[in-house]
Amino acid sequence: MMRTTIKRRLSGVVLLLAAVVALFWGHRQLVPVMRHLAYLTGWFLLAVCLFLTAYNARKKLPFLPLGNSRTWLQIHAYVGYFSLALFFVHTGWRWPSGAFEAVLASLYLAVAASGVVGLVWSRIVPRRLTARGCEALYERIPMIRRKLAEDAEALALASVATTRSTAVADFYKLHLAGFLGRPMNGWRHLAEVRSPLMRIKALIADLDRFLAPDQRKVLGELAVMVAQKDGLDYQRSLQLSLKLWLFVHIPLTYSLLILTFLHVVIVFAFSGGAGAN
Amino acid sequence: MDTPRNQVERLGRQDNPFDPEFPETDLDRIAALAPFKDMDPASFSKKQPLRMILQSDTRLRRFKRGEIIVRAGDYGSSAFMIVSGDVRVVLPPGLPDRVLGRREPAKRSVFRAVAQLWANHRNPEVRTPEELGGGGSADAESGSRVFLQDVPRLIGKSKTVTLGPGEFFGEIAALSRMPRTATILCDSDDAELLEIRWQGLRDILKHDPALRAHIDALYRKNTLSNALRSFPIFQHLDEEQLAQVAAQTQFGTYGEYDWSGDYKKLAKAGTNSIDKETVIAQEGDYPDGVIFIRSGFGRLSKRFGSGQRTLNYLGAGRWFGLREITHNWRDPGSAVPFQYSLRVIGYTHTLFVPTRVMEQVVLPGAPNSLLPRPLTPDELDVDDDDPLKEQGGFAQRIGPELMEFLTGRRIFNGTATMVIDLARCTRCDDCVRACAATHDNNPRFLRQGPVSSGIQVAQSCMHCVDPVCMIGCPTGAIHRDASAGDVVINQATCIGCTSCANNCPYDAIRMVEARDPGGDFVTDKEYRPILKATKCDHCIDQYGGPACERACPHDALKRMDMTRLDTFATWLNR
Ligand code: SF4
Ligand code: SF4
Ligand code: SF4
Repeated sequence: MMRTTIKRRLSGVVLLLAAVVALFWGHRQLVPVMRHLAYLTGWFLLAVCLFLTAYNARKKLPFLPLGNSRTWLQIHAYVGYFSLALFFVHTGWRWPSGAFEAVLASLYLAVAASGVVGLVWSRIVPRRLTARGCEALYERIPMIRRKLAEDAEALALASVATTRSTAVADFYKLHLAGFLGRPMNGWRHLAEVRSPLMRIKALIADLDRFLAPDQRKVLGELAVMVAQKDGLDYQRSLQLSLKLWLFVHIPLTYSLLILTFLHVVIVFAFSGGAGAN
Repeated sequence: MDTPRNQVERLGRQDNPFDPEFPETDLDRIAALAPFKDMDPASFSKKQPLRMILQSDTRLRRFKRGEIIVRAGDYGSSAFMIVSGDVRVVLPPGLPDRVLGRREPAKRSVFRAVAQLWANHRNPEVRTPEELGGGGSADAESGSRVFLQDVPRLIGKSKTVTLGPGEFFGEIAALSRMPRTATILCDSDDAELLEIRWQGLRDILKHDPALRAHIDALYRKNTLSNALRSFPIFQHLDEEQLAQVAAQTQFGTYGEYDWSGDYKKLAKAGTNSIDKETVIAQEGDYPDGVIFIRSGFGRLSKRFGSGQRTLNYLGAGRWFGLREITHNWRDPGSAVPFQYSLRVIGYTHTLFVPTRVMEQVVLPGAPNSLLPRPLTPDELDVDDDDPLKEQGGFAQRIGPELMEFLTGRRIFNGTATMVIDLARCTRCDDCVRACAATHDNNPRFLRQGPVSSGIQVAQSCMHCVDPVCMIGCPTGAIHRDASAGDVVINQATCIGCTSCANNCPYDAIRMVEARDPGGDFVTDKEYRPILKATKCDHCIDQYGGPACERACPHDALKRMDMTRLDTFATWLNR
């Protein structure tokens, strides 16, 4: 039996293709009969952009029965793809010649690209976060990390007395304290590069061979903390990437809207309005 | 000295009596009635004598002819004793909802809904003077009075039973936290009833075994036949046959009324294992009867390797052993023992109908459609196959790890459990923000909790089938909404005793320090903060249902009825 998600995606794609074909066909029919067809496609594009922005408004009004955010996001994505087709129809598949229009077009493409990247990223990251484990609420990560670092330090210091040796404490100070003390390897985690953790693990394994059993036990506990800290860094890095993405997409969208209104004003100011066809 | 604006009286259970104006003369009159007059005062504690229980946990109510006293399907938290007059119990199918005057849970007005955009307080946990002062009614049933005209026509084909002075009703729903099974109307021009909230009934039963026996006898007389009829296998029986079955039926009560304490201790120690659960029926034993579950839950398991594989959990309305007994009755030559084990989880009431009665009275006339499938040779084959694989269906689609997790953590209790698919959740917290926006800027859940197979059960009230949180509440502030069935907390009658928060096995209740609308912390006269219990109210007064679920852009969060594993399995494999 086909999964509902796949069915839903298939119907979405079919509808999108149908809408795009209808747009191209409709546009072709109108080219010979309408002189200022760009006005029509322009207004249409503006309406579509406003609709796309309305999703953010829906998010701000959770107390009204305005439909599920899930449905909104799906429609937002498909209408977003459709707006790309509309954008090209509106610009006539040419890069605008004026500087202002070029900025506007670039902004539009940046918004669209950030949307697509964000959508894909939001499908990939949750799986990676879940597979990795060490689940933690983003806001609590610094607190957990601090606690982990404090515990590790206490353990290392205590080992001087309990094992009557400074081997583990020295190792902690030299190789682990810095790692445990602050977020590390943000970009590497994004790219799924594990070498920094492997390097520390190799150092631990190397020291382990020379230790007495009681020292080895302490080092083992520190190794677990290192793995936990790495997991926390991983969570932080990927969760942060998802949060930052919205800080790109949404401000770009509002900038685009402002420039679009200016564009409308300029077009009307210089052409005498939509009636002049 | 004047009391500062942000100081209020600290409330206790006795400060929130069921009837704040219960006259002493009425109290004397009630105390002189059976069964109270026959109770031994010495068996009650000095701190809480019978008279005090009667004073704080009962109230007298008067009803007129045709007036509805309780409605089938409502979650009631009190029992009734008839003082004078008669009442009529309408047996299933009962009266239609429209006639019962059932109302939707009150939604906010559209204006108040929209006003949440700007009117939410900036400070957390602000309470209105009404919410701080106490005195509001925590009783969901007393809100509106519905009278029926032309009762005989409305009752139509439904059978009725009349109860008179001295008789009790509603105690099963009150004590087992189950919905009312029948609608009960006033059948006299004027009837006087003593309503006992469940906390009082529980305390009286604790000290007086005679009342427990009396209530059991009443159950057998008034409710048992109906309870049996609700199981399909008894539906073809005539009255006489049903009476025969009822006469032989045994009641079983397993587990602790307040099971959460033990469960929490075991869970904390990490020793909450299947071996600790009481076995109601053991795989391999002779099937001596069918076990029907009236309330609570049982774990269905089968031996696998040297342990037990959980296949399902059985809630109210399910049964155990019917398949084996039918198999043996059809083919006595190849009799089989119980194929599975049934263990009690939580607080479970069962009805046990012996094999002999099943074979002589129930099975012979039963239409084939009501009889379970015969056991196939494959199913009977004792081999090392994973029983979950043999079982197929939803249990297999959910998978063994998740099945154990749901059962071990007792997640099956939730009718609106917040499950989050972590493989889809982007940790965006739109759900948390939506919850806060709809609750005066106070999120009512934590997006964290145990995880199994990539599914997280978030720390949010699950609106349990068996809401253990209600057990300890001295004022009934935490109650079920009569129409929606959601478990909600009346802020006006919450005295901040933390009983519900300590009792909830899922840590879904948070105690908060209340502030007044000016933003100052509210204290009592000793300057101790006033606490209020808070939790998810399932957005009972919001348009469109749970805001958290509606706010999730990635279809990751669902409020799931975990008593329906098939729905859960479908969602998992969506
Ligand atoms: S508060 Fe706890 S016990 Fe009560 S209904 Fe909610 S989850 Fe269940
Ligand atoms: S159902 Fe409503 S109150 Fe409960 S967690 Fe969701 S948003 Fe909050
Ligand atoms: S809204 Fe959905 S995706 Fe976002 S944190 Fe909540 S459950 Fe996860």
